[in-house]
Parts: sequence; structure tokens; C-alpha cells
Amino acid sequence: MKKALAISMLLVLLLSACGGSGGDGGKTVVRMWVHTNNAFIAGYEPLIAAYEAAHPEVDIQLENFDYELYLQTLQTAMPAGEEADILQLFGTWTSQYYERLAPVPAEVMTVEQAQETFYAAPIGGYIVDGVQYGMPQEFNCEYGGVLLNKTKFEAAGLTYPPQWQTLDDVVADAVALAQTDDAGMMTTAGFHFTSADPIAASFLAGIKQRGGDYWNADRSGFTFNTPEARAQLEWMLSMVQAGAVDPISFNDSTNFVIDAFFQGKVAIGYIGTWAIAEGQANFPDFADEWDYFYLPPVEGDPVFVADSGWGLTVSPNSENQSIAWDIVKFITADPVNATQWNIASGTIPAMPAVAESTEIAAAMPWVPKALAILPYGEYLGNMPDRDLVMYEIIYPHILNVLQGVETIDQALEAIDAEANSTFE
Amino acid sequence: MNVLRKKGSKARGGLALAKGRFVLGVTLPLLVYESIGVFVLAWAFILMFFDYSPGRVGGPILGLGGSNPFVGIDHFIEMVKGTSVEASLFRISLKNTLIFAFAILPLNLAITLPLAYLLEQIGDRFKAMYRTIYFLPVLTSSVGVALIWMSMYDPQAGWINAIVRFFGGTPVTWLSDPRAGFLGISVAMWAVMLAYLWQDYGYNMVIFIAALQAIPQELKDAAMIDGASSWKAFTKITLPLIRPTMLFVCVMTMLSSFQVFDIIQVMTNGDPGNRTQVLMLDIYKNAFRYQNLGWAAAESFILFLIVMGVTIFQMRVLRTDWEY
Repeated sequence: MKKALAISMLLVLLLSACGGSGGDGGKTVVRMWVHTNNAFIAGYEPLIAAYEAAHPEVDIQLENFDYELYLQTLQTAMPAGEEADILQLFGTWTSQYYERLAPVPAEVMTVEQAQETFYAAPIGGYIVDGVQYGMPQEFNCEYGGVLLNKTKFEAAGLTYPPQWQTLDDVVADAVALAQTDDAGMMTTAGFHFTSADPIAASFLAGIKQRGGDYWNADRSGFTFNTPEARAQLEWMLSMVQAGAVDPISFNDSTNFVIDAFFQGKVAIGYIGTWAIAEGQANFPDFADEWDYFYLPPVEGDPVFVADSGWGLTVSPNSENQSIAWDIVKFITADPVNATQWNIASGTIPAMPAVAESTEIAAAMPWVPKALAILPYGEYLGNMPDRDLVMYEIIYPHILNVLQGVETIDQALEAIDAEANSTFE
Repeated sequence: MNVLRKKGSKARGGLALAKGRFVLGVTLPLLVYESIGVFVLAWAFILMFFDYSPGRVGGPILGLGGSNPFVGIDHFIEMVKGTSVEASLFRISLKNTLIFAFAILPLNLAITLPLAYLLEQIGDRFKAMYRTIYFLPVLTSSVGVALIWMSMYDPQAGWINAIVRFFGGTPVTWLSDPRAGFLGISVAMWAVMLAYLWQDYGYNMVIFIAALQAIPQELKDAAMIDGASSWKAFTKITLPLIRPTMLFVCVMTMLSSFQVFDIIQVMTNGDPGNRTQVLMLDIYKNAFRYQNLGWAAAESFILFLIVMGVTIFQMRVLRTDWEY
């Protein structure tokens, strides 16, 4: 009898320990999952504190995961319905996850309001079949931005800041800045554009700027084997042939652009602004003077495509959806809060009103330089598998061309066929 | 008398009961634990017949069906004759995995067995020291090993190219030059294999040392008395006697080579131009990067079949029917 009583008490204790909690002192607990990025988290923490101060009945629990672990956690937690109330997602992932996300309620924000509030590229990623599933926090602009090593420019006797009118001016500077040792190994890349994101971004932007498109008319397939794509690839190859960069020793796996730039091995490094915070954090002793600029377009307007950016979504399994959406709106769509987050995270704002603000200009002087191109940004489009197309198809084939192991014809045929096979 | 017998049988019965409880107590948690493993395997087995992605809701039972449709053996047909990027990456990965595994095994044996034999010949004072030195890389994390070798392979600042330059040679971009190759295998693959061998060989060496120490001294003495040279004694006495150990080493080395992942992911991530893309890396990318879990499960099944086939073959070739 005693034994049975003890076992019952133990069970009661265990059950009470495992059971759901109403939060601390009856507060409504809202869990929020983000990937580990210290700058991003530093942006979230004061906003969460501010929301909790204004809503004492809400307790927001921020949990972060390493990037790879975050992907795995989402993939296992979502089918089990165990995910947090608020989920940080990258915009382009929405088309893969939308069946497991809650649509934004009209009373929170309509699609039309969202399109007026945010730039077209970032909000585009959160809309699938006309339904909005989240709100962006940043404009992930991989196109056109370059880190520039001022010290190397001055040592080479080149004009600084550069007065580039055309891309030919950029190539001329890059060739003058490139250095090679006695054994023929490139020691300084003049213009490192041969990492995965810059290759994909400049390839797609080049197609658009030359008047072409990589989507077919009804967006049911890709059209990569076109005169515009060929012209862009030929131009990229001509930069390598001119000696601006050696793609064998400067690419994604060897001398990745951020590491190589902040180690003084790159004069002009093609990369999004997100690299600035990462470079400063990882290479605090880098002594060269540097800045961030934007390249001129291939021709015409600086039309480009961008794959949305990080933002917040809400789980359909959340028991506190209205509170969750209120928090998401508070963090992402309030201009003051968004400004605070973008400054802390070092990201380009998703809202034009924020991007054009004086606070942003003062904290991130490279953002005003981007204002001229941001309105030209279009959303990449909902690809069946964006990562597969960008990193396993476009990047390797173009790098093969630049490295001399594949012809332009072979690469364009392969990209077109393989990218279209992702629709099957 | 009867009472005593009853008492004795009761005591024996109590002991048997206690034993039974003990066995149940230790095996039940294990059985529960194993059943979780069986469930995971069963789930992977089921998934390979579906075009399953965790991002899609799918049907009402475990998300199978609906937007995660049943595809039967389509994944396997696609792997053999498909033109999709997944199929072509699978075939490249399979080829690279076979190259890696079948190159690593003989290279590993060629290093570890002679080294173990040599270490067996030296004095006890140095034996322990060398054994420790050779075993240290085994204890190092693969990521650490990968980072060390990456810095040595650095085209500009690595000391391997510094040596090449010192002797007047042309420096090589070891990890990212798709044009450079040796014996039909890319230089990047050789570079990764070298790093892997360095990390792994201490393990086999210690096993071989243990096997060599277990050979009775009388057999070696008898061979010497009969006039056998050292080479003859090694090939006719030592090698046959360590065959069971050889089997173990071959099976374990093959198993770990087929499952190589972390060192390649850190050093090249499959580059240049997929020349170091191996099956485990392809499975990982499909499962967790591209959310193509059905395809990844099918690839895992193929890897399982290959590993099982190679292991059975090795066991048949190297098995012995005797003990000493």
C-alpha cells in the first residue's frame, strides 16, 4: 500500500513537471525561435523587453539554434506540431514551408498594405499564391555591393573613391589591383566575384539588365539558355581572362570572399552588406581602410533580383496566434523598432521608410548608397528549390566555365536542363 | 526435514525470481531503446518510397501521401537512369565514395601494418611513446583535423606550397583546382584522403600491435630455428596469424570510409565541381538543406546495401576456421 502510494506521488510529481505551463505567474508564454546570429539576437532582445514592458501579461521566450541545427529542428518540429509560436524564416523558404505556416490575418496586415510597407523583393518571399505568411525584417541584397580596400587603391595609385561609370571601369581598376607571386599564384584578387552568391546574383541581374528573363511566361519553368544569359556569362569570363581574379584560388571553398577580404587578399570583394558585421566581428585586427560601394549596372537600369530576407512568421499550431502576430508586427512593421533592429543587426531595412531614415544613414553609411538601387529589386520568384538551383546548379556550372573545365554552351545547356528538372 | 527442503526450494525460488527481475530490469530499458532505433529505421525504410518533404503537410497518417506522394521505386529508377540534378549528383557521389573507400583501405593497411610491425621491434621505452604519438590524431576531432590540414593546404600561406616553392615547383591549389589530378583522381580528393588517413591510421595501428603481441613467441622462434628470414617469417607466420584482425580492420576501415562526412564537409563541402562529393554528404544535403527526405532515405538504403555487400565479401574472403 505504501509502495503504491509512493509510486502515485512520484507519477503526480512527474506529470506536473512534464505538463504545459501557463508561464511565470500566469503570464502567457510565447516562444520565439531564431537562428544563432549574435547581431540579430542583440537586435531582438531590447525589442522583446520593450514589448514585455508594454504587455506585462506576456512572457516572450527567445530560443536560438545554430543555422544547420535550426533547419533540422524546423524540419522535425513542424511535422510533429512542436514548433515555437513565432518562427524566424528566410523569405524564400516560405514557398517550401507555407503549408505549415499561419497566414497573416487581414486585421494585422493585408497583402496590399504589406506591399506598400515593404520593398517588393523582401515581401515577395513571404507571399505564396497571393497569401502572405510573414513579415520581412531585412532586404537581403546580394546584388551589386562590393567591399573596397582603400589602402590597396591608394597603394596602387588609383582614384579613391572610385568614379566608376561602367563595369569596364571596375575591371580596369581590378586588373591594376590584382597581384601575382613569382610562381604565378594570385596573392591579391583584384575583383573577387567568384563565390556562390555573387556569381548567382550577378548572373541573374545581368540577364534582367540585358532585357532577358530566366522565367518562362507562366513561371512554370526556367529559360537559362538565352542570348542574354550567354552575354552575361561571356562578360564574366572576360573579367577572369583580363586577370581580375583567379577563380581556381578564389572561390567559395578557397579564399571565401569575406575571409579573404579581411585578410588583405582581396581589393574589391563582391558580397552583400551582411558581410560587414561578420567581417568586423571575425577580423577585428584588420588594419586596412575599407568601405562599401555599389557597382554600376551592365546596361540600362540597375534591375536585379533578390531572395527576400530574414523575417518572422507564426505557427498555425500556436495557441496564442493573435499575441504572436502582434509581436511580429511590433518587431517588423513598426518603423522605430525596425530601425533599431536593422542597426543592431547591420542589415538593409525591408521598409523604404526605414531605409531612408537619418538614423540608418548615420549608423550604416552604406545604406544610403544602396537607396538608388533598392527600388529596382524584384523578388527572385518561388523556385521549387531555390538552394538547389543557386548552389548546386548555377554556381558550380558557372564556376566550371570560369575555371576552364566547361564551355559556355555546355554550362548553359546544363543549367537550363538541371534547373527545369527541379519542377518534376 | 520436509520443512527444510521447502525452505531451500523457497530460497532457490527467491533467487530465481530476483535473477529474473534483474534480467528484466537491465534488458527492458535496452529493449525500449532498441525499439526506438527500429522505429527510426522503419521510418527511413518507408520514406524512401515517398516524395517526402517535412515542409509539406501531406496526408493524415504521418504526413505520408497527399503533397508527399507515394512514388514506389521511382527514386531508385531515377538514380540509375534519371537526368535530374539529384540523380547526377547521386551517381557522382557514389563514384567518389567508391574511389575514397577503395583507395583508403589499401593505403591505410600499407601504412599501419608495417608501422605496427616496426613498433613491435623497438624497445618498450619508446614503444609507448610512439604509440601515443601515432594515436593522438585519432582522439582529435575531425573538424579540428580538417582545419589544420586546410591551413597546410592554403595556396598562398600553407607550408605544403612553401615546400613546393622552396624546391622550385609550381604551387598547387590543393582543395579547389578541378583541373589538377593524379591517377585519374582529383588532387582535392587526394588531399582529403591524406588528411583522413593521418587522422585514422593510429586506430588500426594499435589494433595491429595488439594482434602482433598476441602471436606466441614459440612460433617465431621455431621459424627462426628453421632458418626463415624476417620477411619469410612475416609473410608465412605473422600475416596468416593476424588474419582475423585483418578482417576486423578491413571491415571497420571500409565502414568508416563509406560513411566519411565531416572532414569532407569542412575541407571542401564537395568542391571543386563535386569532385569530392561523397554519398554521406549528398544524403545530408538532400535531407537537411533541400528537405528532400524521401530521396535521402533512398540514397541511405543504397549506401546500406553497398556497405553490407562489401562487408559480407570481406568476411568470406578473410574468414578463418581456426584459432591459436
